[in-house]
Amino acid sequence: MTLWLFPGQPLKREAALPKDDDFRDIDRLCRECCGYDLVNHRALSGCLVSHHTMLQLYGVAMSLYRARRLRRDGERPDLIAEHSLGIYAALSVSGSIAEGDALALAGRIGTCMAAMGDRQSYALGCAVGIRRQALESAVGGSGAYLANYNTSSHFLLAGTASAVETALAACQEAGAFSVSQFPCEAPLHTPLMAELSGQLAAIVADCRFEEPLVPLVEHIGQTRLTASAIPSFVVNELLQPVYWEQTWRHLRTAGCTRFCEVGSGQALTKFNRWIDAEAAA
Amino acid sequence: MSDELVPQVKQMIIDALRIEGMAPDEIDSDAPLFGEGLGLDSIDALQLVVAMEKEFGVVVPDADTGTKVFASVRAMAAYIAEQRN
Repeated sequence: MTLWLFPGQPLKREAALPKDDDFRDIDRLCRECCGYDLVNHRALSGCLVSHHTMLQLYGVAMSLYRARRLRRDGERPDLIAEHSLGIYAALSVSGSIAEGDALALAGRIGTCMAAMGDRQSYALGCAVGIRRQALESAVGGSGAYLANYNTSSHFLLAGTASAVETALAACQEAGAFSVSQFPCEAPLHTPLMAELSGQLAAIVADCRFEEPLVPLVEHIGQTRLTASAIPSFVVNELLQPVYWEQTWRHLRTAGCTRFCEVGSGQALTKFNRWIDAEAAA
Repeated sequence: MSDELVPQVKQMIIDALRIEGMAPDEIDSDAPLFGEGLGLDSIDALQLVVAMEKEFGVVVPDADTGTKVFASVRAMAAYIAEQRN
């Protein structure tokens, strides 16, 4: 069974961009649907697209582009899974929404989330080489939240910048191999996102989702999304953690023997390598 | 002494990180492993820490030590030789 995996937002752009017709067409869609110039990584004149929203759009665009190239090479997925903001491209490639609608949805949600950063300083924290129990104990009381359970030893935290800083210091004290902090506009995958629930639901309500033609497994409860479940999932996933290790184990159990990461970078491939190595030990 | 470990370290990197289609000789012994060079990241670093402990019985206790140890294949080999003595 062949699985296509859609990663979340990359931290940075790749050094070299493709130059073929598919990439030019995805660039055209980015410009038309969300005012984003993919080639030069900037907002079109008169369009307000924040730095983080541009990275989110870049991530969606690269996933859509790579999916097109895989299809041109004759590849087809039997199953699709997604991590975090990988949901937008995953929805499109599953056949639930058009490519342009996926970009427009990502752009509108990104812009909505970016406004949170005008009112408060938020951050993401990465803790590596610490076990879950020690991490949860270290983070407790800091005000930061566990946002991604990527592997048994790789976690993302989110929250206000000061809370994340406190939590990471506690993680280091508790024996984490490495910690790092990144600024962000919104504390993704935490209950703090609830203040945007109404606005996010209104954005999602403007989209029409068809039944996925390729089964799409989500990263919270590992269910296969249906058209009726997609709108609430797209909002709720921003308020809840990503359970990637659980998702990958579920996919392996479901019989996925061959997978391809469809997007920028290799983060999911590396998480899977770790999880598989532990399972084999 | 540590130079003798270089081929073993290269093979360990290939095996631990499951790098497909690369032979040990293709890894530059002096090139940086992170950022430029092989382009490894923090996920890879932890995988190498585990592999070094398993294969050579050598512990990299924290990221600060890791930054020095994983500077290059030759630095890894030197660290392993030093810790074994």
